[in-house]
Amino acid sequence: MSFESHELLGRLAEGLRREIAPAVDDEYLRTQAHMAAVILERLAREAALGERHRAAEAADLAELASGLGEIVGIDGASQSQAAPEGVRSALARLQDDPDVMSLGLVVEALYRWGPERPAAAAALDAIRSVLRRDIDRRMDIAR
Amino acid sequence: MAHTTPADSAELAAVLSDYLAERLGTTRPVEVCDMERIAVGWSHETWLFDAVWPQDGTEQRMGLCLRRDPGNALLRDKSDLGEQFRVLKCLEGTDVLAPRAHWHEPDPAVLGAPALIMERVPGVCPSPWRRAGREFYAAAAGRGVLPASFTNALAAVHNVDWRSAGLDFLGVPEDGNDFAHREIDKWESLIEESGHEGHPILADLIGWLRHHAPPVDRLTLVHGAYRTGNVLIDDDRVSAILDWELQVIGDPMYDVAYVLTELNREGTELLSNVVPRELFFERYQQATGIEIDEERCAYYQLLYAMRSAAFWMSAAGLYADGSNSDLRLARTHWSVTVALERAATELGY
Repeated sequence: MSFESHELLGRLAEGLRREIAPAVDDEYLRTQAHMAAVILERLAREAALGERHRAAEAADLAELASGLGEIVGIDGASQSQAAPEGVRSALARLQDDPDVMSLGLVVEALYRWGPERPAAAAALDAIRSVLRRDIDRRMDIAR
Repeated sequence: MAHTTPADSAELAAVLSDYLAERLGTTRPVEVCDMERIAVGWSHETWLFDAVWPQDGTEQRMGLCLRRDPGNALLRDKSDLGEQFRVLKCLEGTDVLAPRAHWHEPDPAVLGAPALIMERVPGVCPSPWRRAGREFYAAAAGRGVLPASFTNALAAVHNVDWRSAGLDFLGVPEDGNDFAHREIDKWESLIEESGHEGHPILADLIGWLRHHAPPVDRLTLVHGAYRTGNVLIDDDRVSAILDWELQVIGDPMYDVAYVLTELNREGTELLSNVVPRELFFERYQQATGIEIDEERCAYYQLLYAMRSAAFWMSAAGLYADGSNSDLRLARTHWSVTVALERAATELGY
């Protein structure tokens, strides 16, 4: 018999919540036991959803990274470079390391460029769509 | 909040007894009675007790509140008991309902940690995050006295002549939008101290806040966390405003935004669970002469979203770096996610 990690974590959480915590007399320690159960439940959800979430994030970022260059006016073919160096290098880093956290540098660079510029605003909109999907996935675990 | 055993309480009571005898100038023993640690938040420890001692044949009794800084509180160096003591001393003699501070002990060797002792003001402070607390506030609101008192107490904070009171030591923002930038800087620094990796939504929020920082017309004393749960209520009136940890000289709309936010009420349209919106607007504006600017309040609600994220990142960081072993801090790792989701919603996505 073997457990999937999320199943084991879930059962540990249940044991803590239903049997161990209620048996603890000290109020503070009882609270700690309940909190350990809450944490294990979230870890169980992370284990259950992790692979699916990572795949969704990778797909979102691939699509975004390929679209952002065009949005901000970086055209590799013609060497036309509307965006400043800060934006271009942040986008290059995103393409090298397609991770949601890399989007932070792109966002910062876009604000430095000027969010009122149509190209920067359009780029932020595209990024925000991805960030909304990302935070919704994280909320599946955090709720 | 670290675990407190009966032995810890007894030891603290003994040390306090000696400390108070010296401060009160009595050679007679001071008894520390009915000592109780209040379980509130992850800031400083708070203890309530009575000091009792004989003087001229009669029993003297003083209700006191002790706050101690364990060095692993959520606000880190953003909250300082010495500053709190100084603020409370400045507020003495003003119309602001603040507890009277008696002593500040910065040497951790004396009372186990840097400490502040103030008067214990009569009143209760039900938690608005619990049903019983919200029922308390709803009932009090229905009796019609507390809503006005709550509003008037905030107006008094904004009306105080902070320069004459000596509160400019808190730092005075320059003209324009310096206040907002100072607050953003403060919470950015807390995020950095937390060791949290940050998040693009936070980068977006900070960028937006810096880009839209509003100018301030009139600088006032700002409490920074004015809501039910941070005020003592006695006989349906605010008897004291508590938690003087986040005060600044700044835009009064920062406090007004905190009252208006739906995050500080639950299951009711009453602001902060206690005051009808129309009454708050009318009374506040009349008492202060300040017109409530809802657009600026909307800006500050986004600034509070950043502050909230900073708080949770700091809390999670205290557990992650081993400063604090309370598992409730470990759980705040996911509170960061909730705060970021809210920020994204407030930004419109």
